[in-house]
Amino acid sequence: MLGLFGTLDMGARSLGVQQEEMSVAGQNLANVSNTAYAEEQLDISESAPVETMAGGEGGGVQVNSISSSRDPLLDIQIQAEGSASASLTAQQSSLQNAEAYLDEQISASSSSTAPDSANGLASNLSNLFGAFQALPNDPSSSSLRGNAVTYAQQVAQQFNQVSSQLSTVQGNLNTSIKNDVASSNQDLSDIATLNVQIAAAQNSGGGAAQLVDQREQILENLSGYANISTTAQSNGTVDVSIGGVTMVSGGAVADTLQAVDPGNGNVQVREANGGQAVTLTGGSIEGELTARDGALADLQNGLNTLASSLITSVNGIYSKGYDEYGNTGQNLFTGSSASDIGVNTNVVKDPKQFQAAGAAGDSGDSSVALALGDLGSQNVPGLNGQTFSGYYANTVSNLGYSIATVNEKLDNSQTVTQMLTNERASTSGVSVDTEMTNLIQYQKAYEASAELISTLNQMLQTAVQMKSS
Amino acid sequence: MNVTNSAFSSNFLYQIQKLESQQSTLQNEAATGLKVSSPEDNPGVMNDVLKLQTQASANTQYQSNITAVQNSANTASDALNSLQTLVEQAGEIATNAVGVTSSTQLSTYATQVGQLIQQALQIANSQDANNNYLFGGTANGAAPFTAATDASGNATAVTYNGNTSVNQIKIAPGLTVTAQSPGENSTGSGAEGVFADSRTGADVFSHLIALQQDLASGNTSAISSTDQPNLHKDEDNVVTQIGGNAVLQSTLEAAGNVASQNGTSIDTQMSNDTNADLATTLTQLSQAQTAYQAALESGTMVMNTTLLNYLQ
Repeated sequence: MLGLFGTLDMGARSLGVQQEEMSVAGQNLANVSNTAYAEEQLDISESAPVETMAGGEGGGVQVNSISSSRDPLLDIQIQAEGSASASLTAQQSSLQNAEAYLDEQISASSSSTAPDSANGLASNLSNLFGAFQALPNDPSSSSLRGNAVTYAQQVAQQFNQVSSQLSTVQGNLNTSIKNDVASSNQDLSDIATLNVQIAAAQNSGGGAAQLVDQREQILENLSGYANISTTAQSNGTVDVSIGGVTMVSGGAVADTLQAVDPGNGNVQVREANGGQAVTLTGGSIEGELTARDGALADLQNGLNTLASSLITSVNGIYSKGYDEYGNTGQNLFTGSSASDIGVNTNVVKDPKQFQAAGAAGDSGDSSVALALGDLGSQNVPGLNGQTFSGYYANTVSNLGYSIATVNEKLDNSQTVTQMLTNERASTSGVSVDTEMTNLIQYQKAYEASAELISTLNQMLQTAVQMKSS
Repeated sequence: MNVTNSAFSSNFLYQIQKLESQQSTLQNEAATGLKVSSPEDNPGVMNDVLKLQTQASANTQYQSNITAVQNSANTASDALNSLQTLVEQAGEIATNAVGVTSSTQLSTYATQVGQLIQQALQIANSQDANNNYLFGGTANGAAPFTAATDASGNATAVTYNGNTSVNQIKIAPGLTVTAQSPGENSTGSGAEGVFADSRTGADVFSHLIALQQDLASGNTSAISSTDQPNLHKDEDNVVTQIGGNAVLQSTLEAAGNVASQNGTSIDTQMSNDTNADLATTLTQLSQAQTAYQAALESGTMVMNTTLLNYLQ
């Protein structure tokens, strides 16, 4: 038999346990909106029974530990989907920038005309070939010659502008890659530090739920930069590897990522220890690399090919023409690519120097301008047998396909992430209603235990009075 | 499934964000009337539109070129008709002169022919609306015909300063035309000269000058034996040129009709590719708005209610 004092002690322990329960419920309620938080529970059990003549008699309740309801498999799935989403988001952002810079936006300028894209290179090229075609109407007209030169300048400027803006986008991606690599390395370092703390806490028999929550938050942040794989160890630590290279082993940072410029400004990512390239399949770094070396590079190459073919084709015909002074041999376009294409400054200053005629002194002839105009509808060998406008339209639509594909994948990825987050929230999240119900239960249990102690107190007083009387 | 507060709010946010995005897209479609505006919306349509607008631009230029050539062709037609009348008048004078013995009468005829030569010179140096000479070939720097005169002001020779080339203008894919004709062509190839051509034997100025000189000298036998047949050659040549001009005008009209139809067809295709079906768009927008309002109302209703509302 426990006796009055034994029962009083049991009541006191019960009060302590109910207080601890209240504390855990308070912690859960405080983190109700924290998506990385896993609901905590107080693991309690019946205290060891006291052997009496009548058999084992209950010793009340005791606290074993605080545990959290975390599903490691779900955490890994969320990390993987986070990597996929981050990669696609990085691609979407930079490709949409490039799309905006191309300025090929369909709009209806008036109700009487069909909608078209009036500001981009497609329109500039049409205007240029139109100006060449218009020149034969009045070959010596300074305004028609001026138009041809002006439209040639507009084409060159549009090429320069888009090329420069694409280079800026690529430059920004290189900066982002460097920043993301630095942030990843910081996360790796933080994970190693938390591993040490978690192992120490587990070793001393204490709970490490808060530290595990913190580490999960950092792991999810890291998975936004790069695809990671994690291996949980028995001591509570988690090993992290990226692209098959172990980065965190227990409490130590085994390797880090490094952003290296091979000399052309396009940074590459490798592991610092061995200097080997790291295979990235997800995360913002991979998305930035994919956009830079994929669709953006294709777009830049497409524009350079187009500009180069335009320069060669136009100059090939134009240089054989004669200007109004009977001079020949000049080129209309200077440069060799989208970034440096320009218009001969002589003809810009004096449109009479536009070499439209097929023979010297033939001021009424514009056979060269006619041939230049015909270029607009000809298939160009350097453009895979397509016309200038056809090649450009394909280049633009290829970018469109890349963005549309990324948009669709990102939409799917966000849906999957949402489903996984919901699933985790249903198993690990905090429900206010549940916690409030628990609070009532704990409160009532506390009141009951207090009542027990109060009753015991009266019984003890009765016992003392019995002795004194 | 256990629905926790964070699961509910995250789901709620996801749903309303989806609906907001859907509304934004539909509102944009309704406001612009376009279902495609940027390459990512529909890359295939963007590809079509960029190619079609290039065709539309070229087509517009063809139409503009057709109008310009039509104007020049009309001016050329007037000039050729005037020339035909002039050559006929010269022929009539020659016919009337045959058999006339009065030197005064022949001298009067000679004076009339002299006036015709001056008129012919004016016609030969006709210019189009852009001040380009119609009968100078592509050598456009100066008047194509200049006359040398004797002491009494009569033309003794007319020199052609132009060339035998013509400036071609494109009016349709693969089709170039010109309203120009060289004033003179003695090369035996290329476009026929209007005033003189070695293939037809026409030489308006030489023949008029010869007629004038024969009239002045009273050489009526030369008029009937040489001048009259020559003037017939000139007239035949002008008639051929007028016929050519008529063919050109009809070609231009046909090309103009085709270009106009092409323009309409391209516009229709571009509109079909890009225009939103407003009835569908507005219905979908209305549905999305209803769903959005329902989501907001039901969501806030659920979120505002917890066990706390019932615990005192």
